[in-house]
Amino acid sequence: MLKRLILILGAEALLLLALAAIPMSVNNSFLLGLLTLLTIYAILLIGLDITVGYLGQVNLAQAAFLGLGAYTAALAVTRFGCSMPTALIAATAVGCLFGGALSFPALRLEGPQFALSTLSFMALTTTVLNEWESLTGGAQGLQVPRPPLFGAMLGPKGFYWLCLALLVFVWIAMRNLLSSQWGRAFEALRDSPIATDAMGIGTLRNKAAAFTLGSGLGGLAGGLYAFNFQYLQPQVFVYDLMVILLLGVVLGGRKSLWGAFVGAAIVVLLPNLLSNRLLFQIFSGVGFLLALTAGVRGLSRKTTRPFHTRLQSKDLSSPSASIGDPALKPGFPITPSGMTNNLLIANWFQAVAPVVAMGMLVAGGIFTTNTEDWRKAIFALMLFAVMVGLPEGLMGFASGFLTRLFHIPPPELPEAVPLDSVLAKKETTGRPLLELVDLKQYFGGVKAVDGVTLTVRSGSIHGLIGPNGSGKSTLVNVISGLYTPTSGEIMLNGKPLPKGSLFKVAVRGVSRTFQNLQLFSELSALDNVMVAMKGIYRSTLPLVLLGLTRGNERRAGGDSLALLEMVGLKDECRTPAKDLPYGAQRFLEIARALARRPDLLILDEPAAGLAQPDVNRLLEIIRQVHNRGITIILIEHHMDVVSELCDRVTVLDYGKIIAEGKPDEVKRHPRVIEAYLGGANADS
Amino acid sequence: MKKAIITTLLFGMVVTQAFAADVIKIAITGPFTGGSAPMGASMRDGAKLAISEINAAGGISIGGKMMKFDVTERDDEAKNERGALIAQELASMSDLSGIIGSVNTGVVLAGDKHFQEKGITKIITPAAGSASMTQWSKAGVKDNSIFRFAAHDGIQAAMVVEEAINRKLLKVALFYDSTNYGVSGRDDMLDQIKKQGDKLQVVATEKFNIGDKDMTAQLLRAKNSGAQAILIWGIGPELAAIANGMAKIAIKAPLIGGWPLSMSNFLDNAGKNGNGTMMPQTFIEEPITPKAKAFIQGYHKAYKVTRIPSPVSAAQGYDAVYIFAAAVKQAQSTDTHKIKEALEDLKEPVKGVIATWQKPYSKWDPANYDTHEAFRRDQVVMGMVKDGHVVFANDADRQRLTKSATEVKGKKAK
Amino acid sequence: MHESVVAQMVVSGALMGLVYALIAYGFQLTYSTSKSINFGQGELVMVSAFICLSILNFGIPYWLMVPLGLLCGSLLGLFVERAGVRLALEQKSEGWILLTIIIGLLFFSASENIWGRDDRPFPTPISSEAIQLFGISVTPVEISIAAGVFLIMGMIELFKRKTLLGKAFEAVSADRDAAELMGISATRTVMLSYSLSGMVAALAGILVAPITTVGPTMASALVLKAFSVAVVAGLDSGFGVVLIGLFLGALESLTSYYVGSGWREAPGLILLILALAVRPTGVFGKAQIRKV
Repeated sequence: MLKRLILILGAEALLLLALAAIPMSVNNSFLLGLLTLLTIYAILLIGLDITVGYLGQVNLAQAAFLGLGAYTAALAVTRFGCSMPTALIAATAVGCLFGGALSFPALRLEGPQFALSTLSFMALTTTVLNEWESLTGGAQGLQVPRPPLFGAMLGPKGFYWLCLALLVFVWIAMRNLLSSQWGRAFEALRDSPIATDAMGIGTLRNKAAAFTLGSGLGGLAGGLYAFNFQYLQPQVFVYDLMVILLLGVVLGGRKSLWGAFVGAAIVVLLPNLLSNRLLFQIFSGVGFLLALTAGVRGLSRKTTRPFHTRLQSKDLSSPSASIGDPALKPGFPITPSGMTNNLLIANWFQAVAPVVAMGMLVAGGIFTTNTEDWRKAIFALMLFAVMVGLPEGLMGFASGFLTRLFHIPPPELPEAVPLDSVLAKKETTGRPLLELVDLKQYFGGVKAVDGVTLTVRSGSIHGLIGPNGSGKSTLVNVISGLYTPTSGEIMLNGKPLPKGSLFKVAVRGVSRTFQNLQLFSELSALDNVMVAMKGIYRSTLPLVLLGLTRGNERRAGGDSLALLEMVGLKDECRTPAKDLPYGAQRFLEIARALARRPDLLILDEPAAGLAQPDVNRLLEIIRQVHNRGITIILIEHHMDVVSELCDRVTVLDYGKIIAEGKPDEVKRHPRVIEAYLGGANADS
Repeated sequence: MKKAIITTLLFGMVVTQAFAADVIKIAITGPFTGGSAPMGASMRDGAKLAISEINAAGGISIGGKMMKFDVTERDDEAKNERGALIAQELASMSDLSGIIGSVNTGVVLAGDKHFQEKGITKIITPAAGSASMTQWSKAGVKDNSIFRFAAHDGIQAAMVVEEAINRKLLKVALFYDSTNYGVSGRDDMLDQIKKQGDKLQVVATEKFNIGDKDMTAQLLRAKNSGAQAILIWGIGPELAAIANGMAKIAIKAPLIGGWPLSMSNFLDNAGKNGNGTMMPQTFIEEPITPKAKAFIQGYHKAYKVTRIPSPVSAAQGYDAVYIFAAAVKQAQSTDTHKIKEALEDLKEPVKGVIATWQKPYSKWDPANYDTHEAFRRDQVVMGMVKDGHVVFANDADRQRLTKSATEVKGKKAK
Repeated sequence: MHESVVAQMVVSGALMGLVYALIAYGFQLTYSTSKSINFGQGELVMVSAFICLSILNFGIPYWLMVPLGLLCGSLLGLFVERAGVRLALEQKSEGWILLTIIIGLLFFSASENIWGRDDRPFPTPISSEAIQLFGISVTPVEISIAAGVFLIMGMIELFKRKTLLGKAFEAVSADRDAAELMGISATRTVMLSYSLSGMVAALAGILVAPITTVGPTMASALVLKAFSVAVVAGLDSGFGVVLIGLFLGALESLTSYYVGSGWREAPGLILLILALAVRPTGVFGKAQIRKV
């Protein structure tokens, strides 16, 4: 553990020292200007990475926050005579404000709709900045004097060191945040918003938090930007800039502070690289060879991860926000919900396209008259090659490589605690826990649930069976809050249960698994469970940023390990969920659902697709859960499972209850047999 | 590893800066791409034509050694941010003798401070916005290394207003773009209307943005208020959109405005809708004098065109180089400070294409920015668009210039 | 007097709005089969317009240029699909958002260098002389926009409904997996949708070029408004885009007259954000039921 700390922190400290020392040794104002811009862009890209890397969404508004922050800081100084700290705080606050405001309309959106929403905001901001001339000076621009910092006027060097200091502060705070429950929650959001809600982590609020944070950083970067250039114009903060920022994040590496830094360096230094033909030719040549090697290895090994060795997934899968997570899905880590297995099929396009792109780059370096003119195309080609062939970005790739080179050990596992301290035995009273009264769920003309009245007693295992399409899953979806019932009442412990909100239901103590797995596929097994602990081990944001919540982290980790041990996954705790075998994935969902110590656990076809040994294991697990006093609702088709476990069984058909009672009684009920088999007598 | 990459890149940049050999390092900067490109490119090409002529003749003799010009070009794309970065870069170059260029006033405002701080000599051409020079008189600097070689907007606005009055177009609409150039042009026009006796009534004042393609709303408002002429301050493509828009809603008023109305992209995009548009010009592409003829033919041949995209920019770039070269010769040095002193007191007249220049500049006086302005009113004429070319709007001007080509043109003492 | 100005603004604006509708229609085509859209569609419009300009400069007559231009557009669409979309679709990811943006950037930079950064006039036999219709000035160019839009949308809708290939299109839109099981290649259908989308973009370029002139940035503003139209109408709303396009175009025009021309973009953008917030499936779209 110590070794890991030394290596990682040591590298960062070295970088910091180097950056701080440059202006003292080299006296070139142009260089200093570039370095200052580099630190500003690094802060900006770290903010952008929160949405792009962690939330996995394409955020096209970050340049707008840069602009808003810049103008706020400028106006704070020109109109209100603020000093630098005040102006910068104002800029950050404005960034947060607008980010928070934008996150409301954008909250429920994913994918292209989210991108479009942010794009509109971007364009709207430019328009407002341009047209509101009385405030911003419009297209003529705004001169910005640099205010004093605690009384002292900052020259170029002083300003640079201020920016560097702020970068360090942001770096540390973000590392603490993103390796904490918050970071995991952001990633969970990306992988499965539905499960995130169902585990009691409010999707909407976390998304808003992530977005606000990212935009706040954008605002801060904007304030520094204003004081750096000392002249602002609306036409700088446009889509073109945004694309370059996005490309910087992707090229540098998503979900990584170093990646944001590398991306910023590329964005800032690239124009200068391009104006020197020789440097560019070397650079593109190297890139071409890399792409060629990767492509050839990819084709020959028939794997889409040419530089990835099997060892990696065991070593490094953990929330290490400091160096970057190399165990990302091949192709595009931006995945919507759903489990997909590793693609080991040779995908020749992925191997060849980067080579073609880099080849064009090399050709461009040789044949074009002026590489500067082709700046955008060069950036585009580089980006294309990286997105297709090296999706984890330069840092993502480098970190895997460096980790192997220096044998950096993975972070320590927390200590597992006894299961009892996690899931304390509950008193079961046998009284009604869940009561449904005439519950109806209609989808237009389809009556999926048609008047169900049901009581589930505390401490029991209550089975729910019926032929396909009988409404079992729908019923359970209504209870857990995925759908709002058309009519009817739901009571938990005598009090009405909130309807139509997965989050609210989860918070009340109802947990569930899903018929189609909704795991957080990119996260490790341990993280999947730890995410769900967020509601239990709450830490306030300021404490998290300062890194003072390690205690909670350890406890959450210990609890999670205990749960994993219960389902037999302790040894696989570092494996990404998507790499687990199918049976293990089912068990993981159960472990995750238990994290919140629910009163009621709903299992939606947990045995689906399981082979017999796994079914036996499942029985064991469910029994253990039952022994701790947790009430269970079990939807199943496997009759033997139902018979083994359930105290009571309810049978649905066409949305109505057709039988209820002990498993044996129900099995022999004529209406049940008719529903399943269509009339004729048969053994069950 | 990352640090190594950065250091290598940075050292690479430093190393590739040319070693100071026996050359006069000069930078040419302007928008070589974008909506202002015809002006920037013409200025650059005119300047380079002059430089190649000087170099072909062996260069300039400094301290007994023949030294040639070595040109560094930088494209600012008419973007202020780029202008600032380029200015920073050029200002940190060692042994740069001077800079010629800039088309856009905003770029000048964003970048020139880096030159002025270090006393690096720059001749602004063809940027005409008054603010380029008034920024220094407003700041009250005692010493100024920035000069301008263009007919600034104060002169141009006066001519535009004058032309409207002369043609009895009494109700006018003012159109201007939202940049510094447009806004200060509008202010110059309003100023001039007042100075010339308030004879014009401004019935509409309309703003448009760079990149706008559809000005129907503004034009409708102007038409409805009965404008008889549209006085306009803008650049390139937007001007053409206005000319075309005027034709579409059948406004029969002439367009009179700042010199960018002579640019090739206006002429081409407006087509016949541009005929009759008038603007002040320091140079008309007509071979009315031997020197003009030689220049026009030389330009056509060197750049393989039949029409100079922006004749004013080209001629000014050309003459600016010759003036700079004269200063270098007088200073007998490549040191930018010595060149500045020589510029402020040029002893020998410089035979240019536009005119023969006698002591175009004098010692900087913050109360009078004309000390660093080369042009006066009588060196500017009104041009008019006719079938894709710019010709003399008033024949009297053509006669006058042809006749006085052999006379020495001097700067009238102020 | 005043009413005629309003009418003029509304009509001119609405006609431009049809161009947005046309580009939005292109988005719909690809979204319906693959749930993806080309974020670089503006560049596709622009490159097609440039190619058509070059074709014309070779001396090829206008009416021969049009089908050639449409062909180029569909080829470009295929390129976008192959390079930017297919990989992401196969891996069930949304990487196509960034990839299509990147391809758009590439097209932009290439166009700047091949054809130059200036805006050039687009020669067309259709005259730009305004004619007076009920007191409103319209140019034949504007009328041709309306004609072109309706013509091509009509043709594609006919194709979708009447031909077998078109029905395959509809099948994949409705349920990709089921269609595959029925022997319809979803990949080929997606390719078809992208090539149709490219063709539509090329037509948009040809129609609008005489007004906006041809330059690298000619379509960047257009595309954002097309996004607005597509989303507000609903990405699966068919002809709904026409109505919304007309509405948005008119709204923009009126805004530029009454509020100020710099604000003309604002209503479209605000509408887009609101629409996404309140009804992401659009005014004419169908709501989705989540299944877990």
